[in-house]
Amino acid sequence: MRGVGSHLAVWLLLACTVGWAEPIEVSPSGSIPTIEAALTLAQDGDTILIHPGVYRENGLKIERPVTLRGVGDPVVDGEFKGTILSVSAPDVTIEGLTLINVGRSYTSEFAAIYLSHSDRFTIRNNILEKAYFGLHVERSKSGLIEGNHISGEALEEADAGNGVHLWRCSGISIRDNVLQGLRDGIYLEFVDDSEVSANTSSDNLRYGLHFMFSDHNDYTNNTFKNNGAGVAVMFSKFIEMRNNRFSHNWGASSYGLLLKEIYDAEVIDNEFEQNSTGIQADGSTRINYLGNRFLRNGWAVKISGACYTNAFHNNSFEHNTFDLSYHGQLHDNSFDGNYWSDYTGYDLDRDGVGDVPYRPVKLFSYIVNRTPETIILLRSLFVDLINFSEKVSPVFTPDNLLDNTPLMKGPVS
Amino acid sequence: MKRILLLMISSLTLLGCAVEVQPIDFGKAQCHFCQMTIVDRQHASQGVTKKGKQFQYDSIECLVKELLKNGTESDFAILLVSDYGQSKMVSASQATYLISDKIKSPMGENLSAFEAKDKAEATRKEHGGSTYTWDGLKQRFSKDGP
Repeated sequence: MRGVGSHLAVWLLLACTVGWAEPIEVSPSGSIPTIEAALTLAQDGDTILIHPGVYRENGLKIERPVTLRGVGDPVVDGEFKGTILSVSAPDVTIEGLTLINVGRSYTSEFAAIYLSHSDRFTIRNNILEKAYFGLHVERSKSGLIEGNHISGEALEEADAGNGVHLWRCSGISIRDNVLQGLRDGIYLEFVDDSEVSANTSSDNLRYGLHFMFSDHNDYTNNTFKNNGAGVAVMFSKFIEMRNNRFSHNWGASSYGLLLKEIYDAEVIDNEFEQNSTGIQADGSTRINYLGNRFLRNGWAVKISGACYTNAFHNNSFEHNTFDLSYHGQLHDNSFDGNYWSDYTGYDLDRDGVGDVPYRPVKLFSYIVNRTPETIILLRSLFVDLINFSEKVSPVFTPDNLLDNTPLMKGPVS
Repeated sequence: MKRILLLMISSLTLLGCAVEVQPIDFGKAQCHFCQMTIVDRQHASQGVTKKGKQFQYDSIECLVKELLKNGTESDFAILLVSDYGQSKMVSASQATYLISDKIKSPMGENLSAFEAKDKAEATRKEHGGSTYTWDGLKQRFSKDGP
């Protein structure tokens, strides 16, 4: 014991005087058995190595720039008592830890890791299980959240928290994470200039990814599956959405992508497969939808009121029950140059573009929107008849809502 | 026999029109105003019209904004808001409201409701912000615009 003590003294002396820091080693059987003890010893810039074992600790505070690194597979068990790690310093790295059993509360947002005013943070390769909130970040700039696996128990409990929850942050990268069983997989409120890429967000109670009041962000190459709804983008500007996959978001109020009060966005090369509604847009202006694929959805696209300058080009609508549902006037929205699997026209000049325009709105979709129960008549002869008569002489659907240049072939088949 | 049948039918019809509150199905129900799924038991709100139609909202600000936008408060027989921290619904007109940056609400207005006025004041002292009556709250939101 004396030997250990003197070793420690030497280390500390070295760390203080020479500025050369040996890592602080934590292990259940070692001289520093708790993370809390290591954190009190640590100086700015120190690395704390945490060796395998189960550490029953919570309410840990990181108040200076340090690196916390799990070696092997150490587990920190919060025993359902509040937040496990609270960070309030810049330049903190936390990696390779398994944090389990975060406290639950109706009024406090307990998290596995809570960061506040922590610029340039890195949270990498951690496993957060039975998280209430997983990562909760406030007022921080330039962070990296990469390779984490975050799961909660939201499917049973409606009062679950979010997996990655950012509030008033900017310049954050969220990459290669897996998020499951939470309220929202990723929630961004007042977050600017950030990117969300290559994450898999599934089986969440509400949304896979959720933007609120957040501008100039992009999300690419993510998969959103089996969530209450895939992605909700609300009250935000300049959001770029590229190469994502939205699938199996089924239910009465489920969407692949929900757009509400957003401006100047790009929705490019995404795939929407088997959602109740692929895209629902409401109060959305200057949105370009290019090269997306809509496969076997209930509704591929629903446009509600107050949408202006939305352009749908080069998309592929394949085997959806309804391609488009539309409220109100056409305004300056355009639907030219898409592929529609329901198109029955012809291409006599063989230029790849159909010679007669296509009407993507079926009369029956109006009836279903008003009286959802009528969906039971979907495959009946009567419905085919009214759809056909509306196609020949439009009365209820805006007569200028046409694809004047429907493509004869889908982009992929 | 005929009388019993008549009674049954009339009671059924009456039941159908009853102005009753249907509990919110958290995690499934959708906000009538902003279309978000309702998940927050501390901030949800709801209303039932005199005709028995149900309206549910994920936040109190959505309820207030919809009432102000449509001018339809007089159509409602019941208006309820969540009592913060209690997971129960209380009358909107009787509640005391707190707007505090420390207590975030689903639609960014940081608005919560309390059944007990002294609890609202105590929370205000702890977290800061300002309290409002139902009428004061509507006034504040109508200034901000819909």
